[in-house]
Amino acid sequence: MLRTGLRVSIFLSALIARSAFAAGTPVAPTPALPEVVSFNRHIRPIMSDTCFLCHGNDAKSRKAGMRLDIREEALKPTKHDVIPIVPGKPEESEIIFRINDTVEPMPPEDAHKTLTAYQKAVIRRWVEQGAVYESHWAYAPLTKPAVPAKGAVNPIDAFIREKLAKKKISSSPEAAKSRLLRRLSLDLTGLPPTPEEVAAFVADASPGAYERQVDRLLASKHHGERMAVWWLDVARFADTVGFHGDQNQRIFPYRDYVINAFNANKRFDQFTIEQLAGDLLPNPTPEQRVATGYNRLNMMTREGGAQPKEYLAKYGAERVRSVAAAWFGSTFGCAECHDHKFDPIKTRDFYELQSFFADVKQWGVYADYKYTQNPDLAGFNNDYPFPPEIEVESPYLAQRKERTEQELRAHLASMREKLRDEKISGEFERWVADARTFLASAPGGWQQPPVAAALLKGGKPTAKGEVPVGEMQTVAVGRNFAKDESLRLTMQPGAGRIAAVRLDVENADTAAPMKTKAAARTALRIALSKRTAAGETQKLAVSFADATEKETRYDGGAEVIGIASGWKLPADTLGRRITGVWLLETPESFEAEDQLVVTVTGEAASSLQVFTSPFAAANPLEIAAPAWRDALAATAQKRSGKQHELLIETWLLSTAADRAALARCQELMAKLRDLRDGRAWSMVTEAVEPMALRILPRGNWQDETGPVVLPATPSFLPGRIESTAEKRLTRLDLARWIVSRENPITARTVVNRLWQIYFGTGLSAVLDDLGSQGEPPSHPELLEWLAGEFRDHGWNLRHVIRLIVTSATYRQSSSLRPELREIDPANRLLASQNPRRLEAEFVRDNALAIAGALNLSAIGGPSVKPYQPPGYYAAIQFPNRDYMASEGDEQWRRGVYMHWQRTFLHPMLANFDAPGRDECAAQRVVSNTPQQALTLLNDPTFVEAARLFAARLMGSATADETRMRRAYQIALARDPNARELASLQSFLAKQREYYRANESDAEKLLGIGLAPAPAGDRAELAAWTNLCRVVLNLQEVITRY
Amino acid sequence: MPRFDPAAHALSINRRAFLTQSAYGLGGLAFALLQGKLAAATASGATRPAGWNGVLPQAHFPVKAKRVIFLCMAGGPSQLETFDWKPMLKQLHGEPFPESFTQGQQLAQLQNTVLKARGAFTNFSKHGQAGIEISDLFPHLATVADELCVIRSMQTEQINHDTAHAFMNTGSIIKGRPSMGSWLLYGLGAETQDLPGFIVLNSQGKFGLQPISARQWSSGVLPSRFQGIQFQSRGGAVHYVGNPEGVCQSTQRQVVEEIQRLNGFLADEQYDPEIATRIAQYEMAFKMQASVPELTDFRNEPQEMLDLYGIKQPGDGSFASNCLLARRLAERGVRMIQLYHRAWDHHGEIEPGMKAGAKDVDQATAALIKDLKQRGMLDDTLILWGGEFGRTPMAQGTGRDHHILAFSVFMAGGGVKPGVTYGATDELGYRAIENVVNVHDLHATMLALMGIDHRRLTTKFQGLDVRLTGIAGEVVEELIV
Repeated sequence: MLRTGLRVSIFLSALIARSAFAAGTPVAPTPALPEVVSFNRHIRPIMSDTCFLCHGNDAKSRKAGMRLDIREEALKPTKHDVIPIVPGKPEESEIIFRINDTVEPMPPEDAHKTLTAYQKAVIRRWVEQGAVYESHWAYAPLTKPAVPAKGAVNPIDAFIREKLAKKKISSSPEAAKSRLLRRLSLDLTGLPPTPEEVAAFVADASPGAYERQVDRLLASKHHGERMAVWWLDVARFADTVGFHGDQNQRIFPYRDYVINAFNANKRFDQFTIEQLAGDLLPNPTPEQRVATGYNRLNMMTREGGAQPKEYLAKYGAERVRSVAAAWFGSTFGCAECHDHKFDPIKTRDFYELQSFFADVKQWGVYADYKYTQNPDLAGFNNDYPFPPEIEVESPYLAQRKERTEQELRAHLASMREKLRDEKISGEFERWVADARTFLASAPGGWQQPPVAAALLKGGKPTAKGEVPVGEMQTVAVGRNFAKDESLRLTMQPGAGRIAAVRLDVENADTAAPMKTKAAARTALRIALSKRTAAGETQKLAVSFADATEKETRYDGGAEVIGIASGWKLPADTLGRRITGVWLLETPESFEAEDQLVVTVTGEAASSLQVFTSPFAAANPLEIAAPAWRDALAATAQKRSGKQHELLIETWLLSTAADRAALARCQELMAKLRDLRDGRAWSMVTEAVEPMALRILPRGNWQDETGPVVLPATPSFLPGRIESTAEKRLTRLDLARWIVSRENPITARTVVNRLWQIYFGTGLSAVLDDLGSQGEPPSHPELLEWLAGEFRDHGWNLRHVIRLIVTSATYRQSSSLRPELREIDPANRLLASQNPRRLEAEFVRDNALAIAGALNLSAIGGPSVKPYQPPGYYAAIQFPNRDYMASEGDEQWRRGVYMHWQRTFLHPMLANFDAPGRDECAAQRVVSNTPQQALTLLNDPTFVEAARLFAARLMGSATADETRMRRAYQIALARDPNARELASLQSFLAKQREYYRANESDAEKLLGIGLAPAPAGDRAELAAWTNLCRVVLNLQEVITRY
Repeated sequence: MPRFDPAAHALSINRRAFLTQSAYGLGGLAFALLQGKLAAATASGATRPAGWNGVLPQAHFPVKAKRVIFLCMAGGPSQLETFDWKPMLKQLHGEPFPESFTQGQQLAQLQNTVLKARGAFTNFSKHGQAGIEISDLFPHLATVADELCVIRSMQTEQINHDTAHAFMNTGSIIKGRPSMGSWLLYGLGAETQDLPGFIVLNSQGKFGLQPISARQWSSGVLPSRFQGIQFQSRGGAVHYVGNPEGVCQSTQRQVVEEIQRLNGFLADEQYDPEIATRIAQYEMAFKMQASVPELTDFRNEPQEMLDLYGIKQPGDGSFASNCLLARRLAERGVRMIQLYHRAWDHHGEIEPGMKAGAKDVDQATAALIKDLKQRGMLDDTLILWGGEFGRTPMAQGTGRDHHILAFSVFMAGGGVKPGVTYGATDELGYRAIENVVNVHDLHATMLALMGIDHRRLTTKFQGLDVRLTGIAGEVVEELIV
């Protein structure tokens, strides 16, 4: 049946056709024809692959006026006056003649498509039987079929068993309890069960024990994290914009939204509406607005020279493809340029769907270039975010903030303890007295020493460099700095300590600098130094600085906190005085003759005044604030606890009496500021006046000859709604229609994709195409029933999940059955479970959980950065990217939180088949590659995990065998058998021998990763580390059986 | 341990087959068919060419090239200072550019500006017996002029870097399309089991840098085993190919053997063909670990060889060093070797920019051609040199903007006609007008040189027979020996 020269994909699709047919007939070398030929089951897949390209939906490419996808058309005479199909009369039907013709065969030679003898016979029988057409299963109205009445408790089993019974195949027995719980845990939470959980379940013989585990795991907050991985692929969630410079975008609260939605079992209709149109709901909540980040997850560009209009067309088209893939399981992509060849999707459908999103506020190019001006985004550079965004509370950040505040309080309390020491309390009280004295002469806490000012060029004084100093020690340059220019302010503050420097900036009328265009403005920067009478200069480092008013600066898309790295003066402060305060990293003592030198670069304010203070504060703008002055004024006996605390804090920050304590204090304060009061920005959809949207002939964005279209739902799906001249439909209308009873395809798409989670393959295997080029479902009635059940139970995802995982079908052994290999090669009849390799994120989670290192303390939050090969981002520019691996417990967060860089996805994720998420990815390929082996063997994440796992085992037992048993219980929820134990014993012996002889290698191996290695026998820990590497690499560990 | 079966390996990769066949690996029937097929092909003397072990059961055309080295000049070098000599443009230098040429055309950074002509700042001369015109910036390439097949009539569809790279590498700007190297690996497999079959090397110049994306060597909708593997210019050559610190090669071998043994035990208990595949993949992974250090050890390259390429420090991440590494990869049977040199986006300061870029690549490119030739490998190694688009004959300040209507590339070796200049642009170098070659045509021609009919190397995705050339592409027969 295969002739030489046959094309590969034909060859393979023939194989596929066979497995599809396997549903109706046992696959044998010459399969029997089906008794009743079904158009959807048997004919449509053949015609779609071989006929519809020229005789289908697309009028422009239709040949000979022959159309075969619609019965009425196929029964009419063509241009050449032949009748394609005469029902019941194959001899008179042109198609039967042509598919068997050798002179002018169909499909023609140049199509490189060939029909098998079997396919020809099926078509012939179908014509004989009257050429009955059926509307495509996925587009037909959804009616819930009856459940086969064969006594199964779970309807899923009734459907599955009915089909198995027809083939006289029995189901497989239930999997062992321990394995079943591992399966269930990994499927529902992406985490392995603990040995204790396994033991409890194995011991629980009471009725409903399994169902209770299902309930427990569904109620786990980690269930939402597991499901989020599933949805984030579909929503194309990523941390970067994807095009060109692939800059960071601020969107993590959307991920939190998704996780929370699954944890709350939010109704899928609500979930849909909020993402597509949450902003259009009455009084939308912040959560609902965050959900609309979905519409903003298309790739975006900031490339200079990109054409805004072209990119708006790209964004719009991507949105159509992604929405159609996510909710319709349909492939709209082709219809951007022409009517779909295989499915009834018209070009108009494509643009009408796009038109729903014509109100999404966005820019084609997210910058203001001179060649493509964009005044809305004036001043935007490659470090800027991608508006519109809103600021929302992040429970994760708030939680960390609270924790940090506690740490800071504890730290200050420990300082109070130290004051019990008389010597220290004496120093403190002396400082209090001195501070009072200082305040008496400078009531605001600041003094203003006389200043001398000079303009420098390239750091050197210039001939006419002297700048006059005006009244109130005001220095006015009166113009912008030229290139290389800076302003040096020198003063002699007198004997005493300096903890902070303040600049007051005022904008006079003539102040040209502050009126310049935002885009042209840079930031004011200062450098501080001390010059002694002997002429020695010492740089003074700044720990933090802030200003009363500033324009936000960004770094890699994130807001820069404070002004230490530059103070961007707001454009609209004309005639007002604004203040910036710099805190010295270490308060510095000055002798009477010492000079303070302040060098200003970047931007020249029109006038400046400099002040110094011996005091510091957590917030530089609150130095010597009234509350603090009250505290200082109070006598030691009358100070309240709070006042006492405040004074101690100031003492610590202002005097560096205890350097280590000061550093720790500054570190905690910096951490606190980075947590931004527990708030974070997130991209959202903002509705604006919809832009006019035309059909683009052949998808050409420069062609404006196509008609303008208004929003309407796809013409080929039931219950269509259309805009009228009076009423334009909105995204909210679309979202509501998608989850209406009338639309059949969304429920089908979703339950089919859910099924794949729990069985490895969808009921229709091609998850991203339920159209005619996809695969007819293996169990059409079951898919219909589940879809109906989902819709009729309030779009309740958990209801469907519970139905699936409590079924006997799900609980079967996953050992495949060699005797069924010929009958059901793809195990589509589900006479057993399928083994399933874990998705990339869960490969990571599982290893870290086994190691005892996985950080499960919180849900949600910003993305984290696991170890990554150095230099991996070297080819990313605009801006250049450094990759700093996350520190502390954030290094060991779950895979769902990994930073998703679209152009350079983390190699571990890429190697385990995670998609780049450039567009909707409904289906992950599951590959088995050498790169996966290299990752598990050598990626520091897994090596460190092995070491932590080893330490965990060594901490709990002493006998080798006990530890090995424990290792298997933790990693695999089972005991090792005798030969596994023997093998591991002999492996361990060799490793011990090696590392005892090579202690330095042991030390190196244990040094991998951030987590400190415990003290103790290095060789022993290294040997066990390698044993644990073996365990973490096992096929059984990365597979859920 | 089950022997790794390359045929099964190759067939199990088709995406659709994967979905439907994965449970039992290859269905018995499928496997029988495949074996029968292969046996038939062998018996009839039909042509499954030596070294082919991908999905293509036989060559569609005579196989001229066995491997490709794509020297990608990222950023888009100016054709007007490389291979497309336009004296008229030089005369017009500084004058308004005739509107008759540019009306209605797409521009990038020259949008909304007055257009002025910019003549080449270099001179050109004719080289080799064929008299190929090459700019003075490339004196070394001039010495191998008779090996070159210069196409001066290239056109592309995408005017911005990101999308133009996507188009040049995958034939589409839709994300998820496999790159050229992935297609070759999918169709033909590799001639090595010890190294990845598709390897990417990056280097960068001083000026005109633009970012690139790993998407450009992604396998897209093909399984990830066909993705290009990026060698790092520093650190471990391949991600995770080096043993962890403190684990020597023999210890690593013990670890791998123990994994294999335990996985073998599992296969006795659990019927799952993926276990056998996993075992095979660990074996390949270990071989890769063992062969990469030897590959990147330049110590046995003589000094003359380093001098020929102009390498200062082997393994320094320079384009020159990468060219030598490319030759070593080609010798070891890697199917597709792609070098990116990021240095060619000269919107301004084109003169120093082009000079620096040319200095980076000229000598090493010529050396690669000479070196392959002296080893007898140029005949079956196809070299492609070129950027993702060209540059405008109009000035953008001191530089040139992106241009899609005309640019130049060259090929060499691998069955390409040597000493040929093909196609031409108009007198100002604005538009290719004679023998226009678009990117799909280039792809079709490259595949033809590899023995593949571009219409017959496909994969099913979302209902489409996806292919490198989309629905277009004509083989340029005139370029083939």
